[in-house]
Amino acid sequence: MARVDIQRLSKIFPPPQKGGDPVTAIGDISLEVDGNVFVSIVGPSGCGKSTLLNILSGVENPTGGTVSVTEGARPAHLGYVFQDARLLPWRTVMQNMLYVRDDDGDEKAARYLEMVGLSHTHDMFPGQLSGGMQQRVGIARAFSVEPDLLLMDEPFSHLDAITARSLRDHLQELWTATRKTVLFVTHDVVEAVQLSDRIIVLAPGGRIFDDIAIDLPHPRRAADPKVATQQAEILGRFEEMHPTSAPA
Amino acid sequence: MTSAPVTLQESPPSPGPIRQWLISPIGAQLTAIVVFVGLWQLLTLIAERVPGPAEVANFLYVEITGGSHGGIVTGEFWEHFAITLRRFSAGLFIGFTAGLLIGVVIGSYGMARALLNDTVLVLLTMPAFVWAFLTTMWFGISWRAPVLTVAFVAFPFVAINVAQGVRAITPDLRNMSAAFEVSRWKQFRHLILPAVAGYIFAGLRFAIIVGWNAILLSEWFSGQAGVGFRTRYWFDANRYRGFVGWVIVFIFFIVVLDRVVLNRLQTRAFRWRDPIEVEVELAQQEQVGV
Repeated sequence: MARVDIQRLSKIFPPPQKGGDPVTAIGDISLEVDGNVFVSIVGPSGCGKSTLLNILSGVENPTGGTVSVTEGARPAHLGYVFQDARLLPWRTVMQNMLYVRDDDGDEKAARYLEMVGLSHTHDMFPGQLSGGMQQRVGIARAFSVEPDLLLMDEPFSHLDAITARSLRDHLQELWTATRKTVLFVTHDVVEAVQLSDRIIVLAPGGRIFDDIAIDLPHPRRAADPKVATQQAEILGRFEEMHPTSAPA
Repeated sequence: MTSAPVTLQESPPSPGPIRQWLISPIGAQLTAIVVFVGLWQLLTLIAERVPGPAEVANFLYVEITGGSHGGIVTGEFWEHFAITLRRFSAGLFIGFTAGLLIGVVIGSYGMARALLNDTVLVLLTMPAFVWAFLTTMWFGISWRAPVLTVAFVAFPFVAINVAQGVRAITPDLRNMSAAFEVSRWKQFRHLILPAVAGYIFAGLRFAIIVGWNAILLSEWFSGQAGVGFRTRYWFDANRYRGFVGWVIVFIFFIVVLDRVVLNRLQTRAFRWRDPIEVEVELAQQEQVGV
């Protein structure tokens, strides 16, 4: 059970040009995530979603505030899914899975590949797989390191709508089976409603705009009418709050 | 939309069997060799002091099998060849290893690039004969001169290519590796090495060709044995068929090495790029015995 504790976090980038203004990616965010929940961070481009993930993963340092990601008393072990699959093109699918693991035991790797329906691809090279299959390997890889906290940065945004839909169903099944703590960044509210227990809505300037709980049983399939009803309701709320610039 | 029926008559006439053989890769290669030997024979008719192909072939036969060229006893062909090959391998190994290490360092760190890049460029432009002379001055007539000449000549080609390859690795894969806390050794083996394999091959190929040329030069000046020494021996003895014969051996070796060994290695190393096509290519190579 990972615990994410963010207090009064801010991140201000130096001006991109000389004499310009500094860019505020994150204004003032306080956020706590506790337990095996799937949390989405939703917002339009430039509201600091990716910056938030980068600070959590330690790639960037905050300008102000504190961040801690812990598992009990120790720092949490993290897993990542990126926008693109980021597989080593010169290594087979199985070798890619083992690349991120400390030990060479490939049983776990095989199990997670099976969970995303890719058991037949062990000895194939990424170039022989479709974009959607590559991203499934990326997801299996992240789950296979059995992280305390899984960070996902718009993992379906580069895929076509039909592939993305099927991958969300895959992810739902995988998550239901493993119940990892997930922080999932997306600009797609509909996607967030299907996947998440909780949706944090960010506004431009890097502030929390809303914090919505989605109370539906997992796994949720895209075709489920209950999911569709929730999606419509949340989208309606966005339109009420933001008549012209709903982050959808 | 209806499509016109396609009849066999409409397709272009297929070339005859001889033409087909001529335009096949192996046929074209053999044709080129035949044409070259023919032109060479023609040249001997016009120019004096150019030994003909038959004369040179006869010389090589005697040089390899042992016998006498007008009183000069031969038959040490393989000894000379083996000596040169040993020196060449040692020099190439030193130059390649150093080039690989320095190349990775230059490619990875901006500071190292600023410090070393120009030095390596200067080494790259240094003619091989300078190394042949310098090493002879330093070590006298010994095996060290040819070995180090090859090492010095090969090093910058590998270093420059590897540095470029390392710089070309996408930050995405590096970030991914860092995010998953993949160890440095694993990154080197599975990310950096394969990513720069193409550059390493390019560097190695150049290094082999320039290194092989350099060893001929070095042995010419400072050898008491070896291919370069033997070439000079026949040159000094005014026996041009011997000189040309050894030059042909010298060239033949590098062509075979490049075409057979390096080509095959390269094809295997890049299976991931298009696995099916490469399998076909390897099978074809096996068939024609290349």
